[in-house]
Amino acid sequence: MTTPYLHINGIRKVFGEVVATDHVELSIAEGEFMTFLGPSGSGKSTTLYILAGFQDPSAGDITIRGKSILSTPSHKRNIGMVFQRYTLFPHLSVGENVAFPLRVRRMGKSEVDARVKRALKLVRLEGFEDRMPAKMSGGQQQRVALARALVYDPPVLLMDEPLSALDKKLREEIQFEIRRIHQETGVTILYVTHDQEEALRLSDRIAIFNKGKIEQVGTGPELYANPATHFVADFIGDSAFLAGELASVSGERAALRFADGTTVAAVPLHGSGRAGQAAELMLRPERIELATEPGPEGASLPVTVEDMTFLGNNTTLAARTPWGAALSVRLNFGHPLAANVARGDRLHIRWSPEAAHAFVRG
Amino acid sequence: MSITLAPKRRGSGLGLAMPAILLLLAFFVVPVALLLLRSVTEPEPGLHNYRTLIGSATYAKVFFNTFFVAGVVTLVTVLVAFPVAWALAIMPQRWASVIFAVILLSMWTNLLARTYAWMVLLQQTGLINRSLMALGIIDQPLQLTNNLIGVTIGMVYIMLPFMILPLLGVIRKIDPAILQAAALCGASKGQALFRVLLPLAAPGIASGGLMVFVMSLGYFVTPALLGGTANMMLAEMIAQQVQSLVNWGMGGAAAFILLIVTLGLYAVQLRFFEPKPEVR
Repeated sequence: MTTPYLHINGIRKVFGEVVATDHVELSIAEGEFMTFLGPSGSGKSTTLYILAGFQDPSAGDITIRGKSILSTPSHKRNIGMVFQRYTLFPHLSVGENVAFPLRVRRMGKSEVDARVKRALKLVRLEGFEDRMPAKMSGGQQQRVALARALVYDPPVLLMDEPLSALDKKLREEIQFEIRRIHQETGVTILYVTHDQEEALRLSDRIAIFNKGKIEQVGTGPELYANPATHFVADFIGDSAFLAGELASVSGERAALRFADGTTVAAVPLHGSGRAGQAAELMLRPERIELATEPGPEGASLPVTVEDMTFLGNNTTLAARTPWGAALSVRLNFGHPLAANVARGDRLHIRWSPEAAHAFVRG
Repeated sequence: MSITLAPKRRGSGLGLAMPAILLLLAFFVVPVALLLLRSVTEPEPGLHNYRTLIGSATYAKVFFNTFFVAGVVTLVTVLVAFPVAWALAIMPQRWASVIFAVILLSMWTNLLARTYAWMVLLQQTGLINRSLMALGIIDQPLQLTNNLIGVTIGMVYIMLPFMILPLLGVIRKIDPAILQAAALCGASKGQALFRVLLPLAAPGIASGGLMVFVMSLGYFVTPALLGGTANMMLAEMIAQQVQSLVNWGMGGAAAFILLIVTLGLYAVQLRFFEPKPEVR
């Protein structure tokens, strides 16, 4: 295997007795858009700060093109960064903010002017050179920050929840801009967020962080279709979890038994498990089908309809399994059952065997 | 309620300030005006008091001493106070409050007592000279009192809180992430200091510096005790003119020059550093 462009190699960071990141291992290709996704305190920002040089790892190494960057101080790493808060220099105009990285590099005046112009054009803020940051909206300020981070052509751009202070509409607009800029510049981007929608929209690949460790790395569709752990399944997309136990395991398939003895057969099993262990069946709501008859191969469960809510493009049913677990099922608008279903109806949910996942608990 | 209260409140501002205004009128503006009047009428009408002050070499030396010491004190105070204020701003809150309390405590201690303490520390057989000699750093005691070195040391110490407070005010408002951003932009520590930190702290340096400079210009106790008679400063000269020579005209003229200089400096500070009202 060739040396990866950027390699995070067993990074561990301990603050006192708290382990912030533990053996984080990740390879990133040149020009890739990689997102660190996870809840707060999962170690994603710590990993980014170590990359930026604001913190030193307790163990491990980070290399770019095979060369360690850890002994290089922040200001010599030549890495761009956009922060969560607005970090423009308040005493400098927009033009001078963007020129700042070039001025500290003692670049000539004509080159500075040309590059500032190009960077502001990239973020669609041409002609704003003389504006002061305080006179700009939050979205504009983050775009200036983006121009400032890109003006010196850094090979790697770090973004630490750059849109979390913006409202939803503006966030989507700037997400679109970030995608365009990534495609135009080809810069390698490491992006930290806790917003799964943002991660799915922007990234080539996503690394899911939990409790200081990476749970899974993959493209959005991979993570959605094939979550490796319960945490990933829960974090990406909506899903229903039904608790039971493993009835039997054969290879990568398992049968699950629930409290009242109902069984479901041939569910793809993640991780290893033995018969008798507590486990969960995971189902994505949009892959569940409601029918009057049970499905083939044991990929179905009987349910009782408890309530219906019409939501425009779909009707959401609150249903209950025979052993009393709650479950919600969506019926798309126009589904033949949608108009006929009533409280107390006994129906079946069915799914294609590949669409379900079993996770061993513990 | 609030609708009827709001306009009233705006109108009553002047009324609330009245006691202070009257006090200032009676005990500041009027006496200063009288002093100014005496400076151009005593011992006889005319500007000769001012001519003497500006013309004579002795008084020129006093003016030079005053502005030189005030300038050096201001500069040294900024240099000492800035790192202290920075440290206070970034250290854990608990430690910062303890150190802050110590700084304030020294401010509340009697000025005369503190100046005498410096005399004891700085004199030929004082703690500082004896320690330096015991350590073998010097052979002869250093002359630290009865000259401008002593005045500068004593005054810097007294002025420090007046510099630290406004500096802390501006530094606390600087987001540490701005300095991280500067570092990632490629700025070395020095570049970050001169291109980001100092410009952002400039209003605090200006207001603290103005306060220290102006207070130093008119300082009496410390120069009198630590400076000796050979290095007279303006406040000492005014006291001498009025108390010993009963020359109210000269004293008044010197005080008035000091006041004009102070107002001029204040105008400069207002012009360049006072935040302008937000335009939205």
